[in-house]
Amino acid sequence: MSKSCQPGAAALADETALPNIATALAKRRTLKILAMGAAPGRLRPHRGDYTNVIETMLERALNGTDVLIVNRGVSGELAAGAAIRMRNEVALEEPDLVLWQVGTNDALAYVPVDEFASVLSEQIAWLKSHHVDVVLVGLQFTRRMTRDEHYVAIREKLRVIAAQENVPVVRFYEAMQLINSAAHDTLPAADEFERNEEGYNCLAQYIARAIAIGVFGEAMRPPKPTGDTGAPATVPVPAAK
Amino acid sequence: MARTANAVDFWRGFALITIFIDHIPGLFYASYTLINFSISDAADLFVFLAGWSLRLMAQGRGEPKPIGQVMLRLFGRALQIYAAQILITMLAIALLAVTAIELDNPLLLQWHNADAVFNDPVPTLIGLALLTHQLGYFDILPLYVVLMLMAPFFALIDRVAKPLLLPVSFTLYVFVLAFRLTLPTWPVAGTWFFNPLAWQFIFVLGFALADGENGVGAFARKHIGILRLIGVPIVIAGILIARLDLWPDPTGVPSPKLFFLADKTFNTPVRIIQFLSLVAVFSAAWPYLTRAAKRPLLRAPFRGLIELLSMLGRHSLYVFCVGSLLSLSAQVVRLVYHGSFASDTLVVSVGIFVMALTAWFAEARSRGRPGSAASLSPERSSPQA
Repeated sequence: MSKSCQPGAAALADETALPNIATALAKRRTLKILAMGAAPGRLRPHRGDYTNVIETMLERALNGTDVLIVNRGVSGELAAGAAIRMRNEVALEEPDLVLWQVGTNDALAYVPVDEFASVLSEQIAWLKSHHVDVVLVGLQFTRRMTRDEHYVAIREKLRVIAAQENVPVVRFYEAMQLINSAAHDTLPAADEFERNEEGYNCLAQYIARAIAIGVFGEAMRPPKPTGDTGAPATVPVPAAK
Repeated sequence: MARTANAVDFWRGFALITIFIDHIPGLFYASYTLINFSISDAADLFVFLAGWSLRLMAQGRGEPKPIGQVMLRLFGRALQIYAAQILITMLAIALLAVTAIELDNPLLLQWHNADAVFNDPVPTLIGLALLTHQLGYFDILPLYVVLMLMAPFFALIDRVAKPLLLPVSFTLYVFVLAFRLTLPTWPVAGTWFFNPLAWQFIFVLGFALADGENGVGAFARKHIGILRLIGVPIVIAGILIARLDLWPDPTGVPSPKLFFLADKTFNTPVRIIQFLSLVAVFSAAWPYLTRAAKRPLLRAPFRGLIELLSMLGRHSLYVFCVGSLLSLSAQVVRLVYHGSFASDTLVVSVGIFVMALTAWFAEARSRGRPGSAASLSPERSSPQA
C-alpha cells in the first residue's frame, strides 16, 4: 500500500472472510468480480480506470489468478434500483464477488435510512443465499457532507449492517477523513478535488486489500509502510490455499 | 396553427412528465409513476411512440413521399437529436460545476458520471462526442440518435419489402439477446444503459403497429377486443409483480437467460409483452378522455389535461431536453433543501410549468414562421418522430 494511503488503513474493513471466493479459487484460477456503483469505473487522469488497478493488484496478491472485473455501475442509481438490476447481472455474469459502492446516491437523494437499510440487508441476504460474496464500498467523502445529518446516518447504517451481516465494508469516507487529517499535518493544503483523486487511488488499494484479506483471512498480514511512490505496492500474501 | 390534440401526443406528453419525475431519485412522487405499477416504464412508451410517429412521418397523409426524401429527413432528424444531446450534456456539466463551486462541494463533480469529464477530459470529451460516454439520466437521447440512424433503413424495408420489416427487426433482437451483444461505453469501461440493438425492436413495433392498413397494425385493430382481454391479466400480473416484489429469481431461469429476465438494458421479451398489453388496454382510454372533456362538469379538468399533455407531446424533443435539465436541477434543489413533501411538490409543479412553457414557446415560435399555419402540410400536422 502506498504511503499516502496508509493513514486511511485504520478505518478499513475488519478481517471478514469471503468464503465463496476462497472455494472458487480452490477449484480454478479465475476470479470474476461484478462492480456496481460508480467508484471502480472512475477514470484516473491519463491512465484508464480503477478497475484495471484493482485487477492488477489482485492478480499480484492472488499469485497469478486471472481477475476479471465486469463494470455494471450506473451512475446516480439508488440502492433499490441497483439491487433489482444486480440480481439480473448476477444471473448473467455469474460472478464470484460483487463489489458494491452503495449509499452515496441514497444519502444525496434523502432516501429514508430505514428504507436504505432494508434494501441493503435483503440484497446481502440474497447474495449470500446464491453463494456470491460481497464487498461493500461506503460513501464518498467531502468536507461539506460531514455536517449533513442524513449523510452521516446513512454512512453509520451501512457500517452497522455490514457488521450485522458479517460482510466487509471499505469505509471510504472514514479512510478519506484520516488521509485528509494526516495530509493536513504534513503537507501544504491541497485542493479537495486533488485529495479526492488521491482518495480514489487509495480506494483501489483498499478494495484489493479487503478482498485479499477476505480470501486469506488471518494469514494475510497488514502491509508494511513502503516508500511513497504513488504506485500501489505488491501485497505480500501466501499462495492460494 | 398547432395540430389538434391526439392520442399519440397525449401519451407522449404523459411519458415526458413521467420521465422527468423518474429522473429525480428519492422524490416523493417518483413512488407513484408507471414504473412502480408495471414491468415496463415510460422509456418503453417514449420509444414505442417514436416508432409510431416514424410511420406518420414516413408515410404522411395522402401520397407517400419519395423514399429518398424520407430517408434524408430521418437522417436530418438524427442529427438534430444528436445536437440536442450534446447541448444538454454540456449544460448539465456546467450546472454540476457551478453547483459544486457555489456549494463548495466537490462531490457534485463526481455525480452522474461527470467526474470523468473533470478528471480526464481529453478522452472523455471524445467519448461525449461519440456518445460512448453518457451522463447518468442523460442516456435516452443517445439511444434515440442510434434509432433514428437506423430509421431510414427501416423505412426503406417498409417501402420495398413490407412483410420483411418485423422479421428483420425481430431476428436482430433475438440475435442480440442470445449473444448478449451491446454497445460499449468509453473511456469508462461498461455498456450502454439502453442497448439500441435491442430497443430497436419496440421502436419497429411502434412503426409497424401504426400502419392500420397492413400487417400487425391491421390485425391489432381488427382483434383489439380479444387483445385487450388477453392484456388485462398481464397488466394485473405486472402490477402485482411490481407492487409486491414478486420478481422470479433470475438465477433460476433457463439459458439464454435474457429471453426470460425482465431487463431494461436489453428490453427483454417480458417487458415488451407487458408493455404491449398496457398499450392494448390503455388504448381504450383516449375516447373516454375526449368524451369526458365534453361533459359540463368534467370539461375543464379533462380538457386542460388533454391540452397540456398533447402540447408537451407535440414538442417532445424540446420538452425532453428541458425536462432532463430540470430533473438534474431538481436533484440539486433536493440536496440543498433536503427533499420534503413540500419541496418535492414545488419541484414537480415548477418542473411541469417550465416544460409547459417550453412547449408553449415552441408552439408560438412555429406559429410565427412564415406559412406555418396556412400552408401546414399534412406531414407537419402529424406527430413528429
